[in-house]
Amino acid sequence: MPELACFNDLAGLRERLAAEQARIHTTIAVCGDTGCRAAGSRPIVEALQAEIDARGLAESVRIRVTGCHGFCEVGPVMVIEPGNIFYCRVTAEEAGEIVSCTVARGEVIERLLYADADTGAKVRTEAEVPFYRFQDQVLLGPSRRIDPRSIEDYIAVGGYAALVKALLQMTPEQVIEEIEASGLRGRGGGGFPTGRKWASCRAAPGDEKFVICNADEGDPGAYMDRSLLEGNPHGVLEGMLIGAYAIGAQRGYIYVRNEYPLALEHARAAVVQARQYGLLGGNILGSGFAFDLEIARGAGAFVCGESTALMASLEGKVGEPRPKDVHTVEDGVWHKPSTLNNVETWANVPAIIHNGAAWFAAKGTERSKGTKIFALTGRVKNTGLVEVAMGTPLRTIIYEIGGGASDGVAVKAVQTGGPSGGCLPVSQFDLPVDFDTLAEAGSMVGSGGMVVMDEHTCMVDVAKYFLSFLQEESCGKCVPCRIGIDRMLEIVTDITEGRGRPEQLDLLEDLGDTMAEASLCALGKTAANPVLSTLRYFREEYEAHIAQGRCPAGVCRALIHYRIEEERCTGCGACLRACPHGAIEGETEKPHAIGAACLKCGICREECRFDAVQVA
Amino acid sequence: MAMGRLDEIVAGREGQPHRLIEVLQDIQEAHGYLSSEAMEMVAQRLSVPLIEVFRVASFYKAFALAPRGRHLITACLGTACHVRGAPRMLDEVLGQLGVAPGETTADGLFTVERVNCLGACALGPLVVLDGEYHHHMTPGRLRRLIESVRAAEAEVAAHA
Amino acid sequence: MLQQVTMTIDGAPVRAPKGAPVLEVALEYAICIPHLCHVPNLTAFGGCRLCIVEVVEGDRARVTTSCTLDAREGLVVRANSERVRRLRRNIAELLVAEAPNSRALQDVAVRCGVTQVRYPFRRKDCILCGRCVRLCAEQWQAHAIGFVGRGKDRRVEYPLGVRPDSCKRRHACVEICPMTITPCGGPMEPGEERLCGQCESQLTMERDMPGVCIQCELGKGFHCLRAAV
Repeated sequence: MPELACFNDLAGLRERLAAEQARIHTTIAVCGDTGCRAAGSRPIVEALQAEIDARGLAESVRIRVTGCHGFCEVGPVMVIEPGNIFYCRVTAEEAGEIVSCTVARGEVIERLLYADADTGAKVRTEAEVPFYRFQDQVLLGPSRRIDPRSIEDYIAVGGYAALVKALLQMTPEQVIEEIEASGLRGRGGGGFPTGRKWASCRAAPGDEKFVICNADEGDPGAYMDRSLLEGNPHGVLEGMLIGAYAIGAQRGYIYVRNEYPLALEHARAAVVQARQYGLLGGNILGSGFAFDLEIARGAGAFVCGESTALMASLEGKVGEPRPKDVHTVEDGVWHKPSTLNNVETWANVPAIIHNGAAWFAAKGTERSKGTKIFALTGRVKNTGLVEVAMGTPLRTIIYEIGGGASDGVAVKAVQTGGPSGGCLPVSQFDLPVDFDTLAEAGSMVGSGGMVVMDEHTCMVDVAKYFLSFLQEESCGKCVPCRIGIDRMLEIVTDITEGRGRPEQLDLLEDLGDTMAEASLCALGKTAANPVLSTLRYFREEYEAHIAQGRCPAGVCRALIHYRIEEERCTGCGACLRACPHGAIEGETEKPHAIGAACLKCGICREECRFDAVQVA
Repeated sequence: MAMGRLDEIVAGREGQPHRLIEVLQDIQEAHGYLSSEAMEMVAQRLSVPLIEVFRVASFYKAFALAPRGRHLITACLGTACHVRGAPRMLDEVLGQLGVAPGETTADGLFTVERVNCLGACALGPLVVLDGEYHHHMTPGRLRRLIESVRAAEAEVAAHA
Repeated sequence: MLQQVTMTIDGAPVRAPKGAPVLEVALEYAICIPHLCHVPNLTAFGGCRLCIVEVVEGDRARVTTSCTLDAREGLVVRANSERVRRLRRNIAELLVAEAPNSRALQDVAVRCGVTQVRYPFRRKDCILCGRCVRLCAEQWQAHAIGFVGRGKDRRVEYPLGVRPDSCKRRHACVEICPMTITPCGGPMEPGEERLCGQCESQLTMERDMPGVCIQCELGKGFHCLRAAV
């Protein structure tokens, strides 16, 4: 592969690629993201290629394995151009039909089309799918059109043009001004103004500086960064290159979570390719600007998403946060000035430089500009990645895009911001997604995780879930976090097991306040949020557990009781066979009974086809 | 573990304490766990106090300090999977294999781990078996999955 | 020649070497800031969070530990505001509930104004203050003990669980450990754990003179820097 020695080389390559693309008649885009891959997209690609080869169509038909399209619920997804035909829930067995009908003859296969959930009407193109209607896929859009393992695909759609513009037409200070004017705020959860961070780092004394990409997306239920890094790693690289130029950094890191093997693979491949093409290394495109970076792999610690803990991990140490009396922009990794930004933050940079700050600032609200990707998951019909302009109401995301409740059970709450965030009830669903608005309401935008919960979710159990998570993930260095989380969990566990006392609710608030003020790092400072927000909006659930020993949602195992209704039981034995704890007894065709060994897991209830298992 | 393999992994990283985590990750991948001998050797070659090696090895969940079973079952317990009933996977595992997360079955066949999110939330509940992702899992499907692995192992044993 | 700076603690202007920990500066001036994990000449740890102070910046005040805060020109610190005292009291309450069998923690609780413990008592032998670990590593270069594990599982251990040759049984770690002195009334039997409260007079002094070093007997219990050996 040719090294690009100057800006003209890049422009020339882009032209050649455009000409090549023009010779391809049909492109089949198959999503190869971890999600669709788990659902079986690789065999589909193999089967398609075999069909195409067999029919001698390889010259004019190209399969492109792309990044995430967003509509994960209906994966594996496939889009065929020309025509923007959208097929969902595809299987490898259908490859032959797809090639012979749609590719060869332009005929649409009805049963593979998306059907509107309410009307049942079939939708032909991806552009018309209701899921995408309220979205503004600035970041996810490119992922659909490129193979993340191909730098040329990225270049062909205009990749690295923003870098050229920055190097050729702008000074570092002008780049920083542009980012400041755009109003971009950190997408990892902190929401700190990106331009200001860059300016501080540039101004910090020292010749050796670093830029770091935080891809340690640890919030359970959030996978925007995974999909961005997997689906468009060069988009992130370009952002980092522009940032490094602006700040005056020569070296950088991308820190990828251990649990994201495909993102690691794609990031590593992208770096190798970028070096081969002369976009990383010395004298990039003949500009004199030199920059290179290393990919570092996490080792399974949520706390390493905290910037100082991440930097400690880069230095080969345990992920223990440092006090931030001196900011990391002055004293960061290796005690050098460092700019650490989230994957999505970096990914936003090229478009801002290319289209201008005003373009970005035109989207969103007064203090939260641009678009944000959310991972919409949980008890909702259409789970997937949703990219909307800041300021979009929660209601729109959950109902219009998300399709509302799955399973016909009413939506009760939405949890945003991961373990640092909070739960908001339906009454708050008119709130716009905006950094400050959600924070005031007791939650936060966070990194973008948005988990929908319904009437079958116990909010006290949710608080307990997050506390257990944080207890495991806390580094354990400081008292308010290590002991505070432990005591909170002790109290909330008491409540879920019927030993709660009313004064414990006040204690939770007092302790939560202490944790928020006195902890060493953001993990400890925000650890009380799930408890505090559920106390604020769902206090009656806590009170029912305490005053009546009752779990209204029927979840808390110590407070529920499983029994089999004799009249409905046919004695089929399905529950008996399914019970992992050996708690059910009964003879064939005689009513069964649940004994003392029952651990209330609920598996029997799922297995029973006669609705004979009841929860009290 | 063969010292030769360890040599390869440490080569080029001697005396570089900041490479500690990478080195341990490579050993974990090659051997499935970090033995005392391996950690002692790393301490020496990378010029890191042994207590620091032990500290890093015990801090990060990616590292196992005891040999794992032949098959690794990882259940995702992220928020989205949790609200879709993922805790039942652990009930199923407890019932079928008699072990809790972090433990290995007595016959050395299975190790069960839990992970706090794999990032494939639309497909939850998720269980990973030996690197393969299984989505929309139910306790019943997990039971059948475990049974199929057992059957395959029994086949191999019968023909050994 | 160390540069001297002028900063303000609780309204009083003080002179201090630039870069000195504010905790040590305050104690020099007989301003009481309760602390536990800090040991002079060892690296600042910032783990117990008892020594927290408010740093005033413009119209906002943020809370940080004074042991990790470096003295600089113009720094304005509030070491004994209502906010800080309330937080310290809650932290001390958490500590004494973990390990009531330590005179040091009982003393700290009194000095911080704890009058009730709202959590069930536990009987921990180690409060994870890190004094022993840092002493062993930094003063003796022995690296014979360290923190292992994470979160609730965090503990102090020998490398791989075996006492190494580098440990010369100096017992310096034992001497500096806050857990080694039992409460004045003797060790508490299981089920008898309570807030000691024997230093009632000291508690009164805490209420009336919160910010001032009272040369309390308490300092001997938790090796307060002013009473330090």
